[in-house]
Amino acid sequence: MRNLIAVKNVSKTYKTDSDKKFKAVDNMSFNVEETSCFGFLGPNGAGKTTMMKMMYSRLERDVNVDSIIDVFGFDPTKNPLKIKFASGVVPQEDNLDEEINVFQNLLIYSKFHGMSKRDAGKRIDELLEFMELSEKKRVDVRTLSGGMKRRLIIVRALLHKPRLLILDEPTTGLDPQVRHTIWNKLRELKENGTTILLTTHYMDEAYQMCDNIIIMNKGKKIIEGSPKVLLRNNLEKYVLELIKVEKNLLARLDIDKKFVREDNIHKPLCLYSNNFDVLRKIADALQNGEHYLRRTNLEDLFMKLTGRSLNEFQ
Amino acid sequence: MNFNSLDTVQPKIFLRLYSVWYRHFRVYTKNIVSNGIPPFIKPLIFLAGMGLGLGGYILDIENMSYIQYLAIGLPLSSAVFAATFECSIGTFIRLEFAKTYDSMLTGSLSIENLFIGEIIWAGTKSAFYLSAVLFVLLVCHVIPMKATILFTPAIGFIVGVMFAPLSLIFMSFVKSINTLDFYLTGMIMPMLMFSGIIFPIANLPKWMQVIIEIFPLVHAVNIERALCTSSFMVSLIWDLMYCVIFTLVATYIAVRRIKKRLMY
Repeated sequence: MRNLIAVKNVSKTYKTDSDKKFKAVDNMSFNVEETSCFGFLGPNGAGKTTMMKMMYSRLERDVNVDSIIDVFGFDPTKNPLKIKFASGVVPQEDNLDEEINVFQNLLIYSKFHGMSKRDAGKRIDELLEFMELSEKKRVDVRTLSGGMKRRLIIVRALLHKPRLLILDEPTTGLDPQVRHTIWNKLRELKENGTTILLTTHYMDEAYQMCDNIIIMNKGKKIIEGSPKVLLRNNLEKYVLELIKVEKNLLARLDIDKKFVREDNIHKPLCLYSNNFDVLRKIADALQNGEHYLRRTNLEDLFMKLTGRSLNEFQ
Repeated sequence: MNFNSLDTVQPKIFLRLYSVWYRHFRVYTKNIVSNGIPPFIKPLIFLAGMGLGLGGYILDIENMSYIQYLAIGLPLSSAVFAATFECSIGTFIRLEFAKTYDSMLTGSLSIENLFIGEIIWAGTKSAFYLSAVLFVLLVCHVIPMKATILFTPAIGFIVGVMFAPLSLIFMSFVKSINTLDFYLTGMIMPMLMFSGIIFPIANLPKWMQVIIEIFPLVHAVNIERALCTSSFMVSLIWDLMYCVIFTLVATYIAVRRIKKRLMY
């Protein structure tokens, strides 16, 4: 499939208040295929939002001769309007105009894309229905719930029929019903040919939604690929979490260390294995203490790659 | 439903500037009662204070009563405040708290479009403020009606587009909203005091007059006084040129500064 976005050797350095320099994005390179969903994962402060903002020309990347950002053939530094005109953006914060109603918010925004009032009116009705907000059309934004505001911002981003939808943590702080609704709608958009770029902290979101993901840490790309393949290639199938650590457990049960990988740096103690029966045997033999035996998921991989302790931004 | 076809044409520059103006206009007029009435009340308070109080103690200035002299200057101070607040505190709130610009800049707008549109809106607001104050003063016969007075809203607009970028430049350096007080007391208050609004500057020491000439407000005051009294001098061409050049230079610097703050 054709690449819609190409990013090569892109960095972003901020000057902090004390005139120190801080590299938020460090030499990132990746491609995004057309009509795919591409996800950025990483702890707070990893540089996900900065990376996205450079793509839609909200931030300027560091000057560097061999750094490239190409979004449908345009460079955000040179042709910001061409990119913005074909992209819809859902920023991290809810920044609707609170004093005016849903329809007025959308009408004002449609003018930023040069839409006529008639086209905008029709499109607004369509999209409010799509996002299940039709009955809120004349309601003041300040009275909407968090989930409704989030959906409204997605409507706002879709007004001008963008080819590319950029979502910065679209479901943070929302309840499971709203999250699943948003996921379904995003899938529908993708099927209709929209390319989706998203950042998220929810591993299940990334796993369910994304064809490809990048895990970032401290501004750098750590790993890239399809979530299913990444999981299969980089982590055992099962994990046993033990809350109370028992010394020499494996030796006592006479279990060969080549079947089980022990991660004992942090609590809880995690035993990873591709062999379910081995972990089952350990779990059964535990005299006391809670345990949890399950399939490994993207979160385990994420923790393995980005560490369990907090960084200075978290 | 069709999600993915570009069947609209990318908006031209005029439409982009208008869309910014329209956003500010709609949000401002949403609360038209609370937003629109104060400019009409201000001159009434002034009239009460001057007419009943202070005015009687002060001698005539430039062949008119002091209250009339001051009344001609008063609409300009309203225009100055309208643009100054819009583009200092207003801009700071939109930038840091409401995150309005983050949402606007996801539309088909460049940073240049956004802030030039905002400056034009500030000009409109200043024109409205000036007109409202002048209207009350005319209705109350404080200022005699002259045909040329009908052109004064244009001066309101000019004051707006001069003070909006000036405020944006200061705002671009500000990290905390409290710092804006330096600008209001250090820059705006002296200008309002020493630009021929409250008293003529002709009697001030020469060196002070030279400094005053550098600042924008005195030139707008000269034009406004000429329009209100229908007495014109050749030097007004210089005043008008100053206003135009100041607006262009200040806008250029303001947009550059803001762009640096937003994008780097």
